[in-house]
Amino acid sequence: MRRIAIYGKGGIGKSTTSSNISDALAEKGLKVMQIGCDPKADSTRLLTGNDKPVTVLDVMRAGREPTLEDIVHEGRNGVLCVECGGPKPGMGCAGRGIIAAFEELERLDAMSVYNPDVIVYDVLGDVVCGGFAMPIRNGYARDVFVVTSGEMMSLYAANNICEAVKGFKRDGYARFGGLIQNSRNVKDEDDLVDRAAAEMESQVVFRVPRSPTVQLCEDRRMTVISGEPGSEQADEYRKLAQLLYDRSENVSGGMRLGGDDDLDCDCD
Amino acid sequence: MNQVIHPRPNPIVAAMYTLRDLDVDVIVTHGPAGCCFMASRPLENAGVRIVTSALKDNDLIFGGGDSLVRTLKEAQRKFNPRTMAVVGTCASTIIGDDISAAIKRADLGPDCNCFAVDCSGCMTDNTQGAIRAVKAGLKAGLISREECERQISLLKAATDLEKQRGMAGKTYLSPAVSPTKMHVCRVIANALKEGKKVAVVMIAKKELAYRFADMFVAMDEARRKLGGQTLFVANMDGDLGLPRIRRYCSNINAELDADGVTIDRMVGGLDEYAVIGDRVKEAVDEFKPDMRIILGICHAYPDMQKDDILITDQPRQLANYLDQNFLCAVGEVSSHNMVMGAKGIVHLETADTLREIIREM
Repeated sequence: MRRIAIYGKGGIGKSTTSSNISDALAEKGLKVMQIGCDPKADSTRLLTGNDKPVTVLDVMRAGREPTLEDIVHEGRNGVLCVECGGPKPGMGCAGRGIIAAFEELERLDAMSVYNPDVIVYDVLGDVVCGGFAMPIRNGYARDVFVVTSGEMMSLYAANNICEAVKGFKRDGYARFGGLIQNSRNVKDEDDLVDRAAAEMESQVVFRVPRSPTVQLCEDRRMTVISGEPGSEQADEYRKLAQLLYDRSENVSGGMRLGGDDDLDCDCD
Repeated sequence: MNQVIHPRPNPIVAAMYTLRDLDVDVIVTHGPAGCCFMASRPLENAGVRIVTSALKDNDLIFGGGDSLVRTLKEAQRKFNPRTMAVVGTCASTIIGDDISAAIKRADLGPDCNCFAVDCSGCMTDNTQGAIRAVKAGLKAGLISREECERQISLLKAATDLEKQRGMAGKTYLSPAVSPTKMHVCRVIANALKEGKKVAVVMIAKKELAYRFADMFVAMDEARRKLGGQTLFVANMDGDLGLPRIRRYCSNINAELDADGVTIDRMVGGLDEYAVIGDRVKEAVDEFKPDMRIILGICHAYPDMQKDDILITDQPRQLANYLDQNFLCAVGEVSSHNMVMGAKGIVHLETADTLREIIREM
């Protein structure tokens, strides 16, 4: 199983990029699970066409114990879509929500039930509290990539995430895979992102070109892979997906590296 | 279900007690300095070393990992433990501290088996903390899978029992002040004097057996002096449970033996109080007693009668019994503090009262 986390500043196009990666991998016949880690719960809408999916925390807020049927929604090409969800803005603790949602997935043994080849975590990268850092800690994600444009705030967020991954490196779980440039046609964009990557002692692994096809498909609540499968942009996403697949490590086991899954005594 | 608002045991403390039963040398609470201190002190008296990572506001903001690493190193330097467990608390859990990672960073070497118990105070039932602890104990190689599964099923049964018949089913119970033990002891002494059959049943929870077992000693003496017949039933099978619990049984049984007191029917282990009710009742019914004395988790006995003599250590449990018109209930409050770290039987007030009465008869 490959455990890939895609981080990035809010609004930079991580969900679009993640969803196209998941869809492209699933199109090849791989079993993919995408887990949205943003209280807005809009990570998987291009995969399912559903703007308001039931989230893990929706069910928990209602005081029920979620079942997998409640929280795992099947998208196009069979991508398994999960949204962690979160509290109402201004209340509670969204980071704790992410942790609790992950614990529910583990409790429900989601990975042995679905046995995915790839897990894609789509994580909000502006806030780096303990909860939002969860995918890069505790053995959830192995390979971390950051979506960025040449815009300064986006590069700033990328640098923060890179720092965080390096900080947790000694724990032996996550490693920084590099930057994915989601081009916004900023002046000298390639150069700016390259320089930022060099400062992070990393590299730009792929540049997604800017294309109006993305927006057209998004208006139809679809990925480019499913919405315009014959387009050049779809091929770009396929290349990106293949590249991330090749660059990420295949480690057997459950949801977490070194987790409790080998312990067969379930308390529930 | 009712919302329960009276003070209840918590999962962190349940995890700590379970770690003690697993014979862990040092327990580190990864949380604020005062977290669980009321439970930690008696645990220290019982020979377990309890230390805290003493999280401060800055740790909550910037992460508590470094404080934990420092605490682990200090604990190793000071106590050189073979086994050390770190229990999570509410604060460290909310900020998502990675305890296992900190343990790895502390690099304690191969002679210290150090492991994490992922728990907080917000995990519904307190027994959830104990379940996390036995699972962590399995992973750390302290117990077998079989024992782990046995513990989990017993803990679930204990939770069900408390919800159905114990304090966890009530919204609020005020702690009751126990009536004096004179009344019940007179009833017991008179019954024996009239040649009646008295069953003494102990369904004790773990270390509390050290105190409740005193009733067998007093009742044995009373029967010899006054007559009547007795049946002693106890859950002190020393071949069951975690290492420490078994030692309680062998200590108490050896002491009873030395006093010439025989337990007629041994039913289950000291951790089985929630599942042995029916078997205990069967043994008692066979004896056809005129009077029953039930000690410990009395409501684990399946058909408590209004004239049963109930002896509990819990002031809220006592309130629960008295509220339901079990008027021969008495409380041996503060027992828990008295038995923590005990090596031999501790005097029970009811037993001492009975001794005094028979001396005067």
